[in-house]
Amino acid sequence: MLRKMVCQTLIASLLGVSMQTAGAGMIGADRAVTASTQAHRTLVLSVLDRADTSAALQAQGIDPAQARERVAVMSDQEVRQLASDINSAPAGADVSVGGVLLVVAVAAAVWYFVFRR
Amino acid sequence: MNARPFGPTWRRGWVVRALFALLLAQLAGCAQLVPQTIGLRTDWPAGVPERTEISELPFFPQTDYQCGPAALATVLAHSGVAITPEPLVSQVWLPSRRGSLQIEMLAAPRRYGRVSYVLAPRFADLLREVAAGHPVLVLQDVGLIAPQWHYAVVNGFDYASGSIYLRSDIRPRVVMPFTAFERSWMQGGYWAMVAQRPDRIPVSASESGWIEAVLALERAHADGGVGMQAAWTAALQRWPNSLPAAVGLANQHYARRELTVAAEVLREAHRRHPKSAVVINNLAQTLSDLGHHAVALQVLQNAGGEAAQVFSVELAATRAQIELRSRQEISPGAPAVTKTEASQVQPVQPRRGARKAPRRAAPSARERPASP
Repeated sequence: MLRKMVCQTLIASLLGVSMQTAGAGMIGADRAVTASTQAHRTLVLSVLDRADTSAALQAQGIDPAQARERVAVMSDQEVRQLASDINSAPAGADVSVGGVLLVVAVAAAVWYFVFRR
Repeated sequence: MNARPFGPTWRRGWVVRALFALLLAQLAGCAQLVPQTIGLRTDWPAGVPERTEISELPFFPQTDYQCGPAALATVLAHSGVAITPEPLVSQVWLPSRRGSLQIEMLAAPRRYGRVSYVLAPRFADLLREVAAGHPVLVLQDVGLIAPQWHYAVVNGFDYASGSIYLRSDIRPRVVMPFTAFERSWMQGGYWAMVAQRPDRIPVSASESGWIEAVLALERAHADGGVGMQAAWTAALQRWPNSLPAAVGLANQHYARRELTVAAEVLREAHRRHPKSAVVINNLAQTLSDLGHHAVALQVLQNAGGEAAQVFSVELAATRAQIELRSRQEISPGAPAVTKTEASQVQPVQPRRGARKAPRRAAPSARERPASP
């Protein structure tokens, strides 16, 4: 399913590349930032990365349509980064009481074994 | 300090010296614990008031583990987006991690036409943004033993009492000492972001960083319509020498068929960056669309060097097209073809994905405030 989608996207993007190469017109601001000689290769890699990242999000419990939407608003660099460290990156969450309970438990244990004797 | 004689015997002097050394070591330890707070004591950033608070900032109490959506809704609502945390849950919440990732926190504001910008990891920059009325979303480690990541929004500070004000979890106004805040903030690498309207550039923004951030918004909205013209206008105003800003602004005008304005912007860009092949190509294209084929071909003559090699395909295609147009206009035999050709020639969509990795502003050690 994913493979098929990636293939379709790749074909579409390659068609897009060849059409762009053939035509004249305005060059985008993103290419004014830096001149990449490997524009086409980068574009194809970007499509692959996006499929990868989308799959990684799905593996984390996100439904496929939402995963694609979430990847769609990321920059190329973010896509690459997320695919590589989705499991290790910090995920901001709530302040839990687990840590407090642990401290209390340790303190109680120290008091019991050291001072009560 | 220790030059003053403390006692008659060398023994006492030795004790004092040892105590003094210990004190120095303690101070050094403190500086390592909260280096930036120590720096702020002696080196308060210029132009930043000693007290400020964005009190009109909305507050959304978080539900279970969902500090990400709550914090994001806070900054988005302040930037003028009508939003609550609920729709953001499906955009940034990761069920398996029971939290939100930084990258997704950056990506989500783009759906609402806002530019996400990661601040340089400096306390001074955070204070400058808050003082400028931009609430700052920060990543904190609030765990006592194991790391416990948490998002909150800084909306004020007070130098005299050394406090930072935050909207955090279910508390609308948390007051944290600078030191405690820095301890929690440094664990995440001093990560902080703002979500801005495209025409409101953060006061601490670097040119390359902001341009990358705006391009990321543009990429997310390939169909346009998110105030990109205002974004590039503001960027060009702040950094008149910015090549991407000029090209971006001209492309916005071009897309609206405001060719004369586009040509003006590109002419100025060409004056500032005579070697830029992108400017040469786009200026020639625009001039040709205006009917000035000869001038356009003259502009193309300026293309040369390494920059032109990279864009050789585009430049050649533009040249061929302009030459074709001018031949057809000169030859009286084919006026109909000219018309067809003119209608066929549509500007090619700006190509995406050809960007290199953004140059992240990694502050060197000397940029940080020095500790005493």
